[in-house]
Amino acid sequence: MSVVPEQISASDLADLRSSLRGLLTSASDEEAVRAVVESETGYDEKLYDRLATELGLHSLALPTPYGEGYGMEVLSVVLGELGRFVVPGPFFSTVVLAAGALVASGDQAAMEKHLPGIAAGSTVATLAVIEPDGHWRHEGFTVTAERSGDGWSLSGTKAIVPDLLSAGVVLVAASTPEGDALFAVDTATAGVERTALRTLDITRRIGRLDLDDASGTLVGAPGTLTDLLDAVLDRATTALAAEQVGGAEACLEMAVGYAKVREQFGRRIGSFQAVKHKCADMFARIELARAAATEAARAIDGRDDAPPAGEAAAVAHSVCSEAFMFVAMETIQVHGGIGFTWEHPAHLYFRRAKADQLMFGGPATYYERLLERLGVTNETSTK
Amino acid sequence: MSTPSLADFADEARAFLDAHATPRASDGAVVWGEGPDRVTYFSDEPFEVEQANVQAARDWQRTRFENGFGWITGPKQYGGRELSIAHDLVYDGLEAGYDVPDTGVISLIGLGMIAPTMLAHARPEINEQYLPAMFRGDAIACQLFSEPNAGSDLANVQTKAVRDGDDWVLNGQKVWTSGAQHAQLGMAVCRTNTSVPKHKGITTFLIDMSWEGVDVRPLRQMSGGAEFNEVYLDDVRVPDTHRMGEVDDGWRVTMTTLLNERASVGGEGAGPATRPTSRANLLAMLKATGRDTDGGVRRDFARVIADQAATEYLTSQMMRRARAGDLPGPEASVGKLMFGQNLTRIAHLAAEMTGPRMLADTGDWGTFSWNELLLGTPAFRILGGTEEIMKNILGERVLGLPKEPA
Repeated sequence: MSVVPEQISASDLADLRSSLRGLLTSASDEEAVRAVVESETGYDEKLYDRLATELGLHSLALPTPYGEGYGMEVLSVVLGELGRFVVPGPFFSTVVLAAGALVASGDQAAMEKHLPGIAAGSTVATLAVIEPDGHWRHEGFTVTAERSGDGWSLSGTKAIVPDLLSAGVVLVAASTPEGDALFAVDTATAGVERTALRTLDITRRIGRLDLDDASGTLVGAPGTLTDLLDAVLDRATTALAAEQVGGAEACLEMAVGYAKVREQFGRRIGSFQAVKHKCADMFARIELARAAATEAARAIDGRDDAPPAGEAAAVAHSVCSEAFMFVAMETIQVHGGIGFTWEHPAHLYFRRAKADQLMFGGPATYYERLLERLGVTNETSTK
Repeated sequence: MSTPSLADFADEARAFLDAHATPRASDGAVVWGEGPDRVTYFSDEPFEVEQANVQAARDWQRTRFENGFGWITGPKQYGGRELSIAHDLVYDGLEAGYDVPDTGVISLIGLGMIAPTMLAHARPEINEQYLPAMFRGDAIACQLFSEPNAGSDLANVQTKAVRDGDDWVLNGQKVWTSGAQHAQLGMAVCRTNTSVPKHKGITTFLIDMSWEGVDVRPLRQMSGGAEFNEVYLDDVRVPDTHRMGEVDDGWRVTMTTLLNERASVGGEGAGPATRPTSRANLLAMLKATGRDTDGGVRRDFARVIADQAATEYLTSQMMRRARAGDLPGPEASVGKLMFGQNLTRIAHLAAEMTGPRMLADTGDWGTFSWNELLLGTPAFRILGGTEEIMKNILGERVLGLPKEPA
C-alpha cells in the first residue's frame, strides 16, 4: 500500500479508544473471558460479530473499496484495547495476518474473494507459516505445492497455526518448483486435517494443519513470498506491539491498584520502595514500549518524519515483547501468592506475554531481524 | 510587532544561522577511524581548554541574543521575544543543522532551570539586573543546592542564612556544584528556621559569586576532570532584595527549579559524546572490530540499539507534543532515566567490542578513548536526582502510590 492513510486527530483516536473500552468493559470483562476460553470455539462469536458490524473494526484499516482505508495508527488503538482485555478471538489472525497478507500480495482476485467477508466479520482467516522445526522463516518451506489441473495441490504440515480451528480460509506459505508462494486453502476442502493443540496462551487457540493433496489457490506470484512475508511481518509485529502495550498497561494498573490497598507490616505495600520502584520500572518500560509501538505505526503509515518502517517495526517488536514479559512477571511478584493462583487474572497476561514474544520466532529471531534491518548481516549462521 | 508565523520565523532563523554559522557537514555517513577520537561526557580537559570552550559558548549565546534568538520565549522587558515554545523548538531544530559551540554550560542550569525560577519568584528589579545578562551569555548561573548532608534529602540543608538589617549573612558548605568555577551567579538554598519541620524552614537567595566570602574549590571526579565544585560560604552578605520567594518558603522555590531540571535533562543530547554513541558510529564500530560475527556481541548490540532507538522515538514524540502545546509532566523523567541507562549500556557495549585494547592507550583510534564515557557512567544514575529519587517521584506522583511513612 503506497497510499498514505489520512491522519487521524488525537481526539478522534481517543474517542475510538474510549468507546471500545466501554464496550469491552461490559462485554469482555475477566469473567466473560474466563467463560469463553472454556467454550468450544474459545471465543465469543457474538462479540466478534458486534466488533465487525456495530463498530466496523474489521474494515477500519482495510484498503478501499473493501474498508475505510485508515492506517496502522488507528488499528493500533483497536489492538491496544483488545490486548488490554486479553479478548480471545481471531481478530489478529484474520484482520492483521490474513488480510495483511492478502493486501500485501496485491492479488486483486484474492482480495475480492476474501476481503469482503473479513470486513464483514463473516470470514475468519489465518496465516500458516511455522512448520514442525518451530522456526519463523520467510523461505524454504517443507510444505509443497504443485500444479494440478487449473489449480494447485498442497501437502505437508504447518505445526503452529493461530486460530486455525475457527478459520474458514488459511493462507499457507509453501515451496513450489517455481519458487515459494502463498496459497489460500479452504479449510473445509478435502485433504485438510486440523488438530486443536493445548496452548500456553489460553486466550488464543492454535492448531496443527496437515495437508495431503489439498487443493489451494495461488495468491500473488511464485517467487514473491519472501518479500510478501517481510511486509506482513512489519505490519503484524507493529500491530502486536500495540496489543502488547495494552496488555502491559492492564498489568501495571492491576499491580499499582493492589499496591495501594494491600497492607503488610501495618503499611500499604506500595509505600515500600522495593515495591514502588518495581512499579516505576514497569511504568518506564511501558512508556518506552508505547513510544516504540506508536512510532512503528507512524512509520507503517508512511508519515514524513517517521523512521523507516522495517527498522521501527523491528525496534517495536523487540522493545514491546521484552516490556510486556517483564511487566507481566513483575505484576505477579507485586501481588505475591495471590498473583500465582488460577483465579487471579495475572496469569492470563503472563501467558499472553510469552506467547506474543514467541509468535514470530522469539528473541533470537527478533534481535537478528533488527540487526538485519540495520544492515548488519549475519554471516555466522543461516537465517 | 505581531507574532511571526512559524514559517516566517523559520526563514528568519535560517537567515540568521546562514549569516553567523556554518552548516554541519552531512552527518549521514560515519567513517570509522575519522574525526576526533573523543567520547567525552564529563570533560577532563585542562582548565585553560575548558575556559576557552566556555568563552566560545558565551560568544555564541551573545550572538544569538543580539539577533533575537537568545531567549525566544522570554518576556520582552528582559530581552526575550515572547514567542511560543513551538518557535523555540523550531529554532533548536534548525540550529542542530549547524556547527555551533555547545552552550550547555550556560543553558542547562542557568537558562533552563534558574531563569524560570527567577521569573516565578525573584523581584522585578533583580530580574532586570540579571536576566538579560544571563541570556546574553555574560552571567552563568549555578545551583548551590546539595550539601554533604543534603543529597537526595535536599530539604536537610544546613547552610545558615541569618537576618542582619537589610541583609542576610550566609554560612555553610555546598557540594557537587556543576559549573561553579565559571559562574557569576548562584542560587543558594539555605536554612532560615530550625524550629519547624525541615521543608518549612528553607529560604532561597540569588548570590553574586564574586562576593566576599564565596570560595569555589574544584572537586575532581572519578573520570579525572573537575566539573564539580565545593562552594564554601563564609559570612557572605546578601541583600534582602536577592531573596527569592518568601522567608521560609524556599522549598517551593526549589521545587520550581527541580521540576525544570527533570524536564530538561534527557531532552539534551550527550554533548561531545553524541557522535560516538550514535547508532551509525556503533554500527561502524561493530564491523570495524570484527565483532559482528560473534553471536553474544550481536545480541547485546541489538538490545542496546533497540532501547536507544525507542528512547529517541520517545523524545521526538514528546517534542512533537510540546510543539503542539502539550507540555510534559513528571512522566518526562522516563526520558532521563533511559538516557542515562542507554549511555551506560553503550559504554559497556563499546568495551565488549573493543576488548583488551581499552586497557591501555595503544594509540589505536576509537579504543582507549571509550574510557572517558565509561568512567562518567556512574554519574548518570546520580546527577539531577538519584535514580532512586526519580523512581520515588514516578511511583508517587505519576502512579499515585503512597509515600514512605515519616
